[in-house]
Amino acid sequence: MEHYHPIIRFVVEGGVPIQTAVLLLMLPIVATLVAFFRQIVGIKAFGIYTPSIVTFALIAFDPNGLKYGIAIFASVIFVGMITRFILRRFRLLYLPRVAITLSVISFSILCLLVFGGYYHRTGLAAAPIFPILIMITISEKFVAAQIEKGTKTALILAAETLGISLIGYALLSWSAFILFLVEYPWTILFTIPLNVFIGKWTGLRLSEYVRFARIIRQK
Amino acid sequence: MFEALRKSSGILGMNARNLEYIRPLNRKRGRNIADDKLLSKRVLRKAGLPVPKLIATIRNNESLEQFDWSLLPGGFALKPNRGFGGEGILVVYGRKKNRDDAWVKADGSLVTIEDLRAHIRNILDGSFSLTNSPDIAFFEERLTLLKSFKPYSYKGIPDLRIIVCNRIPVMAMLRLPTRQSSGKANLQQGAIGVGIDLATGTTTTAVIGKSHIIEYVPKTRLALSGIRIPYWKEILRIAIESQNVSGLGYLGADIAIDRERGPVLLELNARPGLSIQIANLDGLKGRLDRVKDLRVKTTERGMTLGMNLFGGEIEEELEEISGKRIIGPVTKTKLVGRDGKTEIEVEAKIDTGADSTSIDIDLARRLGFNDTVDGYLKAAKDWQEISELSGGERWKMFEHIPGVVATIPVKSASGTTYRVAIRIEIVVDGLRVPARATLIDRSNLEYPVIIGRKNLSRFLVDVTK
Repeated sequence: MEHYHPIIRFVVEGGVPIQTAVLLLMLPIVATLVAFFRQIVGIKAFGIYTPSIVTFALIAFDPNGLKYGIAIFASVIFVGMITRFILRRFRLLYLPRVAITLSVISFSILCLLVFGGYYHRTGLAAAPIFPILIMITISEKFVAAQIEKGTKTALILAAETLGISLIGYALLSWSAFILFLVEYPWTILFTIPLNVFIGKWTGLRLSEYVRFARIIRQK
Repeated sequence: MFEALRKSSGILGMNARNLEYIRPLNRKRGRNIADDKLLSKRVLRKAGLPVPKLIATIRNNESLEQFDWSLLPGGFALKPNRGFGGEGILVVYGRKKNRDDAWVKADGSLVTIEDLRAHIRNILDGSFSLTNSPDIAFFEERLTLLKSFKPYSYKGIPDLRIIVCNRIPVMAMLRLPTRQSSGKANLQQGAIGVGIDLATGTTTTAVIGKSHIIEYVPKTRLALSGIRIPYWKEILRIAIESQNVSGLGYLGADIAIDRERGPVLLELNARPGLSIQIANLDGLKGRLDRVKDLRVKTTERGMTLGMNLFGGEIEEELEEISGKRIIGPVTKTKLVGRDGKTEIEVEAKIDTGADSTSIDIDLARRLGFNDTVDGYLKAAKDWQEISELSGGERWKMFEHIPGVVATIPVKSASGTTYRVAIRIEIVVDGLRVPARATLIDRSNLEYPVIIGRKNLSRFLVDVTK
């Protein structure tokens, strides 16, 4: 409490839990991270919402965030992919098809939790429900990408999403970083000029140096 | 690291494409035209540009039920109006024999009216449109494959992607469907992309997949470089005019060549991909920067600019390979005078039908061969007599004339005559060539000099130059 910046102290004394305040302060940082990865590094992922929300889901899974988070993420993608292959020949309209996919994933995750419970992985069985629901709903993004860009691209995008989320998770669960945030919350404002810079960046993305390596070598 | 940064400065990346080209140059109206195939067809046809003929449109389930299937010809293409990446396109090549309710696809499989109905329902439901919103299905004429392209493409029609900016074509690529791309001319799906030299419409390097450079059509010995694209100028003209019509400042025009109709505009693209750079092994940004500030008033001017700015490398390449220089049928040539100092530049006719080089007597005088010309004119008073002499006797007649090195028989329609030759140096396209040139009065001819085969061994003649 004594390290808190006056603003944070004011917020906390107003009755807002410190966790809530910290998470809200972290959102701009995660969003900036995603923007950075897209524009400068060239890692696409599923937009900005999905990697951000998955990052927070991973944090919500703590203390076993990584283990269970990754397991559930991978199961969702895997089951989503299989369901799509089964449903394809029925030629259903988009939303009903996604609804069925979500149902199948829900059942599968339930099975996974029960399975975990019986094998004495109580941490898995007792995993909080909201991050699980978040993980399930991102399967829509996956199905949409699968339809539009093909399974291979969708899998790459899913892996990229998980990758960015893991980096975000590492940053956000770093205690020194959290302490820094509550001590100097105004530093969050720097994300705005940083994003203006990223938004005006017209240089090649790092991934494009690889993509166009042939041309660069040629010159 | 910094080296790579410097070298990559001419490459157009996704960020720069979106921020500096698509956003400011492709306004909403243009994007609407490009994304709506039926609308772009209408707009382009109105402007007199060739597009595939529309056979019929189906806008909703009701008109699908009432559709008269006998309207359809033997071959046609069924497309979703807002499809992307070539998805949802169905092409049939002819009616199944003895049946009027079934057609045959390229791979020989059968398509019945029932299949068409199911496919159209999918299109109407928006299964192939970008946002999954309801769509329109339409039938259009099937283009026929150009004979000269046949060996290069697998079950489909190759097309040309041309990037046009500021009315100037800046880069082009030929896309060849492969087995991998299942007959579609789409690079993402595994088609071959072949770079094109804009000046000549000749292919250069080829790429398959992400950035795998290939030299031959897979599993054949057919070279992918050096393919001449027919109707090249017409294709560039259509691409530029489609930019004028659509208002898209940064346009990717897709043009196919039909066996009967010639170049036909398939599609306009408001967000053309970046892979074209790999096929051409060159960056788009560098090229776009060069055309940015140019003022181009006419299509013709834009075409010439594009051809001159982004072509001609093939020629240099050919020169490198053969070690020979490429010259036109009339080439500026310098003649070095007898004193080794005087240089006179004239237009010389490059005549591969003539054996030796010959120059006008008046020109010879100016080069310092006054006495040679005088002596020659005096000795050659009677042509008839000269032609009847033997080689030795002939030489005796001329050897006293200063500067003469040989007598050369010249065959022409009126019989053989003899001319005297002098030794002279000529400079053709920067290359110094020692030559024996015969003297003749060419004052009534267009060019004072013709250069014959004997002095052309280090050159190739390009008649279009």
